[in-house]
Amino acid sequence: MAIALTERPKTDVLPEQSGASSLLEGHYAPPPADKDGKTWVRTSVIVQAEPKRLYEMWRDVEASSSWHERIVEVRATGSNTYHWLMRDEPGDKTLEWEFEILADEPGKRISWRSLSGDPESAGEVIFEPAPGGRGTMVTVLEQFKIGKLDRAWEAITGRDPKQSVIENLRHFKALAETGEIPRTEPQPHGERGLAGSLKRSTYGEKIATPLGTSPSQQQSTTAEGGSR
Amino acid sequence: MKAVCWMGKSKIETQTVDDPQLLNPHDAIIKVTRTAICGSDLHLFDGFIPTMEQGDIMGHEFMGIVEEVGRDVDNLRRGDRVVVPFTIACGSCLFCKKKLWAACDNTNPNAHLMETAYGYSGSGLFGYSHMMGGYAGGQAQYVRVPFANVGPLKIESDLPDEKVLFLSDIFPTGYMAAENAQIQEGDTVAVWGAGPVGQFAIASAFMLGAARVISIDRIPERLALARSIGAITVNYSEEDVSVLTALKDLTGGIGPDACIDAVGLEAHMGDLAGLYDTIKTAVMLETDRSGVLRQAIQAVRKGGTLSIPGVYGGLLDKVPFGAAFGKGITMKMGQTNMHTYLRPLLETIEKGQIDPSYIISHRITLDEAPEMYKVWRDKQDKVTKIVIDPWKERAA
Repeated sequence: MAIALTERPKTDVLPEQSGASSLLEGHYAPPPADKDGKTWVRTSVIVQAEPKRLYEMWRDVEASSSWHERIVEVRATGSNTYHWLMRDEPGDKTLEWEFEILADEPGKRISWRSLSGDPESAGEVIFEPAPGGRGTMVTVLEQFKIGKLDRAWEAITGRDPKQSVIENLRHFKALAETGEIPRTEPQPHGERGLAGSLKRSTYGEKIATPLGTSPSQQQSTTAEGGSR
Repeated sequence: MKAVCWMGKSKIETQTVDDPQLLNPHDAIIKVTRTAICGSDLHLFDGFIPTMEQGDIMGHEFMGIVEEVGRDVDNLRRGDRVVVPFTIACGSCLFCKKKLWAACDNTNPNAHLMETAYGYSGSGLFGYSHMMGGYAGGQAQYVRVPFANVGPLKIESDLPDEKVLFLSDIFPTGYMAAENAQIQEGDTVAVWGAGPVGQFAIASAFMLGAARVISIDRIPERLALARSIGAITVNYSEEDVSVLTALKDLTGGIGPDACIDAVGLEAHMGDLAGLYDTIKTAVMLETDRSGVLRQAIQAVRKGGTLSIPGVYGGLLDKVPFGAAFGKGITMKMGQTNMHTYLRPLLETIEKGQIDPSYIISHRITLDEAPEMYKVWRDKQDKVTKIVIDPWKERAA
């Protein structure tokens, strides 16, 4: 079961000093550049909620499938380790990985890295009061090792890993603020034809929006469809 | 159900499509009782707004009866009569809390498209391209309304649909345009475009204290409507008429205190710059025809205000920024922060201060919509505003 614990971590921890923060001793620190086979993404949002609640929502790792695109299951495999399963819509492509939580400061910061499987990644999220009391600034820094993963990830999610991190944070914010994640599918439309279908792919609209509820909650939200 | 679908540039069809369904806990399904074709729908019809997909359901001005609500909608019940604002707002984000509803952070599922084009994404809109959310519109028999706990305005009086329908967009849009014009008691205000938004901007400018409102257009029946609510009119297509000269003549040489561009990106200009824009947009070197904007910047008085409710979509050429700076003008613009205006403007209708239905010229069925888009674009048949009854059958 817990294969990961016996394996050597495949990824380094994030830089010690600044971590995900955009500030280092009062000076702006740009996100790390892509190099040495690693790609980085840093993104942030302002959320109208307390840092504590946002931390708790993020730390509920097993509920991650409610706001992560294409994540079908996250299962705890130890006190700080989890198994992630990502699957495409038809269900024939999957990515699986084991990850461990490294730093865990309630209400402030969580960092993690993968232990085995794909992707090889590490990340950190920080929750800081926004200037002027305008909510909580949530900043995510994540690093992915570039390799065959990119193509597999894109084939499953329809986005590169960087954009996935951005979209997932957007879903997290919407869910935290409103209790739902905005979506348009499925909705009525006229005949799409070839042109319409092509555009839908280009705009990323064939990517299913996470439901905003974990599997156990889902029965109660199912709407009745059909003709009126 | 039946719905009016965008099938490509200059191609609109009424098709039979699936009924909408509840998707999220704050959704409602509305049975549409009245909907309208907006001037800004013509920008979609003419292919000026990118990210439309074949099959998209048109329409962002609609009202109706609540048919079904999601589990977290507790302010509405089946049978309630509502007007739905065309901007979708969550009510909870930083922007909604600041009452910048049209800048809502949470309602555009395709925010990444707009971030690429504009830096940040505004709120989702009904039936107005995928960059603006990709939500199916209301020129249909039913429509799904997200965040029904925040947007829809309940109509509890027995005012007929036609008197309150325009609260869905053009009345608040005209009103915010007048508010953005920062009108002081006694001001002279010039309004380009005497279409529906121009009409409501004129009416609102008077409500906010304007002493004189000058309406500029080329369509006689629109100018007649503008005169009917008290405006002075200038027809720029008449021989020897120069708008800039007319505005100086009518203001003792100082220019209007505020100018309102209720035309936007498809301005018709008879001059050389108009030809320049037509050619540049045709070869895609420019996306918007900005003739009115240039003229309004030129016309407004020193230290005056330019308010822009007219839609612009992309990159503009030859905007006289030197004139804007030189005169120290203020410019205010943007999609309407609808939710702020719904209730106060409903009150003006209830009190009889305004009857917005005065602009309606055509009442049609869904099946007649495709041909009426052409009539509306070409300004034929004395058209001033088209309202659709989605449940009426075409007369035999």
